Amino acid sequence: MGEGMELQNKVSVQHLTKYFGNLHVLDDISFNIKKGEFVCVVGPTGCGKTTFLNLLTRIYMPTKGDLFIDGVSANPKEHNLAMVFQEPSSLPWKTVEQNLRFGLELKKLDKKIIDERVEEMIELLGLQEFRDQYPSQLSVSTAQRIIIGRAFGMHPDLLLMDEPYGQMDIKLRFYLEDEVIRLWKELGSTVIFITHNVEEAVYLAERVLILSNKPTTIKEEVKVDLPRPRDVTDPEFIRIRKYVTDQIKWW
Amino acid sequence: MTEKRVELSKAEQRERNLKWLYRILPFFSILLLIIAWIAVSGEGSDFPSPWAVWTRFLKLLEKPIKKVSLLGHIGASLQRVFIAMLIAWVTGIAFGVLIGWSKKANALLGPMFMAFRSVPPLAWIPLITIWFGTGEGSKILVVFIGCIACIVINTQAGMQNVNRLFLDVGTVFNATSKQRLFMIAIPSALDAIFAGIRTSASAAWMVVLAAEMLGAKSGVGFLITRGMDSRDQALVLLSMICIGIVGAILAIVTQIAERVICPWTRTKR
Amino acid sequence: MSMDENKKVKLSLKNISQSFVVKNKVMDAVHNVSFDVYDNEFLVILGPGHCGKSVLLRMIAGLAKPVEGEIFLDGEELKGSDPRVGMVFQELALMPWLTVMGNVEFGLKIAGKAEKERRRIAQKYIDLVGLTGFEKSYPHELSGGMKQRVGIARAYTSYPEIMLMDEPFGQLDAQTRYAMQEEVERIWQQEKRTILFVTNNIEEACYLADRIILLSNRPAKIKQIYDIDLPRPRDTVHPDFLRIRKEISENTDLAL
Repeated sequence: MGEGMELQNKVSVQHLTKYFGNLHVLDDISFNIKKGEFVCVVGPTGCGKTTFLNLLTRIYMPTKGDLFIDGVSANPKEHNLAMVFQEPSSLPWKTVEQNLRFGLELKKLDKKIIDERVEEMIELLGLQEFRDQYPSQLSVSTAQRIIIGRAFGMHPDLLLMDEPYGQMDIKLRFYLEDEVIRLWKELGSTVIFITHNVEEAVYLAERVLILSNKPTTIKEEVKVDLPRPRDVTDPEFIRIRKYVTDQIKWW
Repeated sequence: MTEKRVELSKAEQRERNLKWLYRILPFFSILLLIIAWIAVSGEGSDFPSPWAVWTRFLKLLEKPIKKVSLLGHIGASLQRVFIAMLIAWVTGIAFGVLIGWSKKANALLGPMFMAFRSVPPLAWIPLITIWFGTGEGSKILVVFIGCIACIVINTQAGMQNVNRLFLDVGTVFNATSKQRLFMIAIPSALDAIFAGIRTSASAAWMVVLAAEMLGAKSGVGFLITRGMDSRDQALVLLSMICIGIVGAILAIVTQIAERVICPWTRTKR
Repeated sequence: MSMDENKKVKLSLKNISQSFVVKNKVMDAVHNVSFDVYDNEFLVILGPGHCGKSVLLRMIAGLAKPVEGEIFLDGEELKGSDPRVGMVFQELALMPWLTVMGNVEFGLKIAGKAEKERRRIAQKYIDLVGLTGFEKSYPHELSGGMKQRVGIARAYTSYPEIMLMDEPFGQLDAQTRYAMQEEVERIWQQEKRTILFVTNNIEEACYLADRIILLSNRPAKIKQIYDIDLPRPRDTVHPDFLRIRKEISENTDLAL
């Protein structure tokens, strides 16, 4: 692979391998993500998902291979990486607006830019009525939307989402999934979305990466070229969903 | 399966080096303490050096104080501690369960206990000396007072914080209130009770020294006072080291006991 | 429907209302809910978010008293907890100080059964849920799916005539959840009981239910009742399945 190829990609993961002692957890994972792409990662229960994530966020260092952002080895201090976890992680002592400001203030951005971005997120998420409330006064789903807004508002180089809608009911999930798609389209963010839910992956992704069991590698990439908003009862959607499910079950 | 060693990347090597550093630093910290000790006990200072303490230790083995060996003195202190703790555990756990489980008992006896525990245990020494003299019983009583409060408080907290869900399970199975107490509430409070036992051990060890410093013919507290009276700094330091070591062993033993008795608390992360 | 007339009513809720006082305000959780549950039926109560559906189960289990209304089991009024009613809890509720065996035989111990008898029954259900070999493990040593199996086995040991399941798979990941749904269906086929299953997952409801009672957002009212007559085992991507799922989904309240 030439230098030129890497530069085209926003994120490039190359030969990512991790051993813990002699335990082989990740095996030679390589993939590229273009700027503004939405990629979902699915895998069987107990695959090296957590390790994979921790390597992307640099909590662990890889045994072999590396993660590049804009052609440079990723560094949480230089690059702008944002994360959304399954449990809402808003700061309980800050209001909705202060929570949205928080990450931007940490980055020491200009006050004017912060104001603009916070207004943008409040507008996009329709949170006007909640702006002065504390997270504990909100429902779990609203609290999660704030975290998602905070992450998008950072205009990150890479946004990692780890099953943010894990326990929500389908109706709510569809609503929030549509919202994520709207934010993503509006802001052109680059997103890696990790989920156990195949339907969710096919609904959201432009590309689905299927992980294998340990030692985890990328078993297959499935492109999803369906128009949006997607219809989960569309035969083509069902075909892709079935295919991905079979790939996960086959071990 | 290939058993070849996996080579670490540079970044991982750095991670591993850091881990080693964390393992080595504690020893380094002890080393620093000893160096500092040697430094302040240098020439011109009357502070005993590590060697002086060591010679004092050897001398003590040859010439026991009050015909009791060093181990004998430690044993005497430990005996007081164990007797007092045993009584404190039995009564403290029973009392804690009572006021933690029954709201009525808590309303009636809780304030009394609060008043009692707001007095530091050492403040009881004069009264106890006046009433019972300076015998063995008085010392045990002081230690008992010193370690009962933390057992009661922890037990009570454990009993009050029993997960509602566990009690619901009992209700669905039609448990009687006696079954709810003995099969659900007390077992689920066990780890809190053990936290109390751990604190009580260190509290008891602290209080026994104070009790012994006020008139005793044996025990580490006596030893240390003896050193003070004869301006024998080496003896004082030696006693202090013994006290520290025994205290640490007590902490480790209670921790092991907890793991054996409550195996389910073992692998919480 | 004429079919209903052939079925025996096992449990009957009549005009149930429930409310709580939260921060000095009265909040209605359940408003005037009435329905019948038939013998050996798999009935799913479906509702969005925290609509008060768990409260319904808690009242049937005797863990809460309705402010208004009555609950009848086999025609007689239920007052408090009843040995004929078993429950699988949402947050697992396994006793951390007991092994798998200890947890499963817990109810039998409370009922005062002799040890030999206890072990025999508990073993039967440990085997049934596929946990053979884990009898001596503690809950913290088990995966989420295995823990929930322990909870299910425990509930079955008292031979309840009605099994209440309160969002038992809410905490599991999607794949484990599918596996557990198949498991529950298998157990239900093998040990026919009346099951009342609460969930907020429409797919799960459609997969498991003979009948779905759809509740509205809080305060919970019955919005609609669906008969699901798809053949079992059901295929979650079958067009009929997706059609029903979509229909119910569109009728469900959005609880943001």
